[in-house]
Amino acid sequence: MLDVQGLRKEYGELVAVRDIRFQLYPGDVFGFIGPNGAGKTTTIKMLATLLEPTAGTATLNGIDIVRHPEEVRPLLGYMPDFFGLYEGITVTEYLEFFAAAYRIPKAQRAAIIDNVLELTDLTVKKDAYVETLSRGMQQRLCLAKSLVHDPILLLLDEPASGLDPRARIEIKELIRELGAMGKIVLVSSHILPELADFCNKIGIIEKGELLVWGAVDEIVAQLQANRVLEIRPLGEPDALIQRLERESHVHGVETRNGSLYVHFAGGLEEQADLLAALIRDGFRIAAFREESLDLEDVFMQITKGEVS
Amino acid sequence: MRTLRENPLLRYHLLGATRHRWRRQPWLYGAAVLGIGLVYLLVLQLTVFNEAGMITTLGLALFVMCIAAPLMAYNLFSLEYEKQTWESLALTRLTAREIFWGKYGAALARVALTTLLFAPFLLTTHRATTYVIVAAFIVLFSWGALLVSVGLWLSFKLKRTLTTAATLYAGQVFVLMLFPFLYALFSGGEMGPGQSAIEWVQNYRDGFLAWVISLLNGSLIIYANPFYASAQLEYMAAVPAWWWNAEGWDAYANALRYMLWGFAQSAMYLGLAALFAGFAYRGVKISWRK
Repeated sequence: MLDVQGLRKEYGELVAVRDIRFQLYPGDVFGFIGPNGAGKTTTIKMLATLLEPTAGTATLNGIDIVRHPEEVRPLLGYMPDFFGLYEGITVTEYLEFFAAAYRIPKAQRAAIIDNVLELTDLTVKKDAYVETLSRGMQQRLCLAKSLVHDPILLLLDEPASGLDPRARIEIKELIRELGAMGKIVLVSSHILPELADFCNKIGIIEKGELLVWGAVDEIVAQLQANRVLEIRPLGEPDALIQRLERESHVHGVETRNGSLYVHFAGGLEEQADLLAALIRDGFRIAAFREESLDLEDVFMQITKGEVS
Repeated sequence: MRTLRENPLLRYHLLGATRHRWRRQPWLYGAAVLGIGLVYLLVLQLTVFNEAGMITTLGLALFVMCIAAPLMAYNLFSLEYEKQTWESLALTRLTAREIFWGKYGAALARVALTTLLFAPFLLTTHRATTYVIVAAFIVLFSWGALLVSVGLWLSFKLKRTLTTAATLYAGQVFVLMLFPFLYALFSGGEMGPGQSAIEWVQNYRDGFLAWVISLLNGSLIIYANPFYASAQLEYMAAVPAWWWNAEGWDAYANALRYMLWGFAQSAMYLGLAALFAGFAYRGVKISWRK
């Protein structure tokens, strides 16, 4: 379990990360969302033990990352947003290097390397020189390197940046698979559709502050307290607009492309009552549906577009 | 020993990167090896047939070391920063000691190899005594060790490969050329302290005192210059043909011996090397939270 307790990082007067708190469990894939400069990378670097927090701490399986960084490091895999690879060696030699650096016994190294190569789909490239790999393959190799010691927490900072669409899809699949393997995966990104597919939890950070975090469904449900209903009437909408504005749950009505977009504060029961009332009053309704929120809507509703 | 024997970083720096360089430009490296090999044999032939003294052989070896040693260390840490690999390395279970020795050990191994390359020159130096030959080897190696230590530290501190290389070469120009120039400027054109400065030295105690005095009167910047040291090592071997006072010369050679000439400079180089290496090690330990 990863328990982040009031993590804070200050650079002089600038507060880069402000008392962040969240908890993640095995199997969680946590999308860490925020605009550029929001504090995502600083948080990840603190969790990776590369930066010392100004205040607060985090524990991974009960081990304090601030007090015992050396004990935490073997338990985590880290893939930075900008990374390099040692050149002049083959993919297998590169992984052997890290296997040795993580003190994996010699006898076990070959099997482990084969496994991570297979997982990252790099088996066919095992004898290729690192510098000859495409950007996407290098990204996967970096991920393979982060997996060689079987960490329980994976910190992936913008893992899909700079990748072509195919490579992005492959990385997404891989992350999903890692979550299914029971690892805690923390993925940062500012490209939301990228995260929507495979994260079960998200945290939105802005100006160093974690504005919201939790299960994706729960956050969407919270925000949907203020729903938008799309109603497509047959005929002139004026009378319908007047009728809707008399409803207590309706906070506003907009007209776009022949449809009415109704800002509605009620739940599903109230929606059903409204539809029944409209039909009873003789309005002819061709379509009545609630607009669903996606991660982009959530993000736009929560953030103000500020950086720390 | 485990720090060296099972150190993947040492292995990478010694073998991995080197093989890469060969593989990428085999013709260039082939031509370079052939060219350098021919020059090596030619110079060795000249050394033997022209009865070259220690000024020539050790001087040549030192000149090559001055050029080559910075290249053995200038990028050891800076490339980690420039290529963004240091974070991955810092997170492994390698200790600060292993990381340090992985890099420093590779650089020292190359310095040792360069020293060995000059073994035929030093061993065939004309009229060189065992003392002089051993001192020459140690001066050469320890000067190289000092250069790679400073290079390692600068590479860690500056985090920029080119800046590190430029600083190392500029620093050598300053120490090896400008210091003697400044000394000459303030001592009426004398290029060194000369025979009279130490001819009173008659035992090891005097020799030690002579070093202390040199520290106080500024002549240490000349004595510690490895090229000056190599010149005096030649004079220790035999009276030069052009010298007019053989008796006085013996006294001078003895004084140098009592000052442990060559060995004392090497001790200074190695001491400074340990200091800078210590800075680099401490840097890794603190900055990388190891």
